[in-house]
Amino acid sequence: MKNSLIIVLLFVMQKGNSQELFVVTDPASNVPANSLGVNIMQSAFKEKFESGYNYHFMPEITYGLNKNIMARISAFISNRSNQLVTEGGSFLVKYRFFSTDDLNSHFRLAAYGRYSFNNSDIHQEQIEILGHNSGFETGIIATKLINKLAISSSISFEKAMDNKPNYPFPSNIGNNATNYTLSFGKLMYPKKYTSFKQTNINLMIEFVGQTINENGKSFLDVVPAMQFIFNSQARLDLAYRKQLSNSMFRTAPNGFYLNLYYTFFNLKK
Amino acid sequence: MKNINTLKIIVALLLIVNATNVKAQIIKAEIRATGLTCSMCSNAINKQLKTLTQVVNVETDLNTNTFTVTLSKDNDLTPNVFKEKVEKAGFFIGSLIITVPTIMTNSSAYVFVEKENTNTEELQIKILDKGYVTDKEYKKLLKSLKKIETYSLNKEGDYHIKIIKI
Repeated sequence: MKNSLIIVLLFVMQKGNSQELFVVTDPASNVPANSLGVNIMQSAFKEKFESGYNYHFMPEITYGLNKNIMARISAFISNRSNQLVTEGGSFLVKYRFFSTDDLNSHFRLAAYGRYSFNNSDIHQEQIEILGHNSGFETGIIATKLINKLAISSSISFEKAMDNKPNYPFPSNIGNNATNYTLSFGKLMYPKKYTSFKQTNINLMIEFVGQTINENGKSFLDVVPAMQFIFNSQARLDLAYRKQLSNSMFRTAPNGFYLNLYYTFFNLKK
Repeated sequence: MKNINTLKIIVALLLIVNATNVKAQIIKAEIRATGLTCSMCSNAINKQLKTLTQVVNVETDLNTNTFTVTLSKDNDLTPNVFKEKVEKAGFFIGSLIITVPTIMTNSSAYVFVEKENTNTEELQIKILDKGYVTDKEYKKLLKSLKKIETYSLNKEGDYHIKIIKI
């Protein structure tokens, strides 16, 4: 019990822009130009076929190159081999190519590409280049904000490659997939702002799905999350991911996320 | 004689320098940003505006996303600086109202969309150009300001203005 509390607390401390700063997906909006976002992501997923949790630690930094383009680098560390080992890293670029704003609302479209490398063993059919597989992903995101509610959806193509040097991608399972997400985020508190110091609370629910293109095997997960924003600068997310339906082989589908996110505004004047 | 000439030149130079010094400045800017409802987003704009050394103070109304920017006396900021800063934060301007000395509006950069006779020293003016109003408002203005030829050209550095308060 104590342990799960600690995990929950750790989780509360992870990811970040308010209603649309989702836990497992990115919105079409970017971090501000010249600002640096530092995110400490942690996840602990219950192993299905062995005891214990698969723990991942993913620090990432995101920088706004200009008002439309941001870049992110991530590192992947996990306890997959029973001790904490750095298994890989990732590079992402996101380009916001469309934006139409009105008072208290916006609609934005963005395209992104991500390349990851990983040296861990390949142990499931699910393709996940965030911490499991080497490979790339490219997709588009649409985000709509209406007053206090943000709705975001994305579709992407993801292809897994060999986890060099020791683990080639198995030839008997599909190496590419289509991913789709749908996320909702709502500002719950405060009802009325009084200062930047006020803590904001957002509630979120995200749906994340994947279909392996070759054989149609799929999964769909739901991720409810609670998010706190402190001092209009730091963010803490706590989320639980639960499998809703699945037809592929996955070793640890259910678990917790904890994100801690901090924004350093205007590194360059 | 030579000395007198030098003196004249110095005086003339001083006058020029002085004239530049009295060049009118924006006193205050009231920016309403669009596309956001979260305080972290407002803070991004707040911090962007504060990177301008000529900004003395930024007051933020988080409920309306209005930023009241007070500027130093010797600033040389133009309205497009505010637009750039808000867009760098990832958002857009929905309304920009600036308080300026009336003589500033005599500059060719400012075009009044309606004739007004003013004899006050200061004016509050709203900028009506694309990027300074919401997309919806801009579409309406394009129709209503048809007779002002320069409006639809969207020339950077040209500001079409309306007096809000004399």
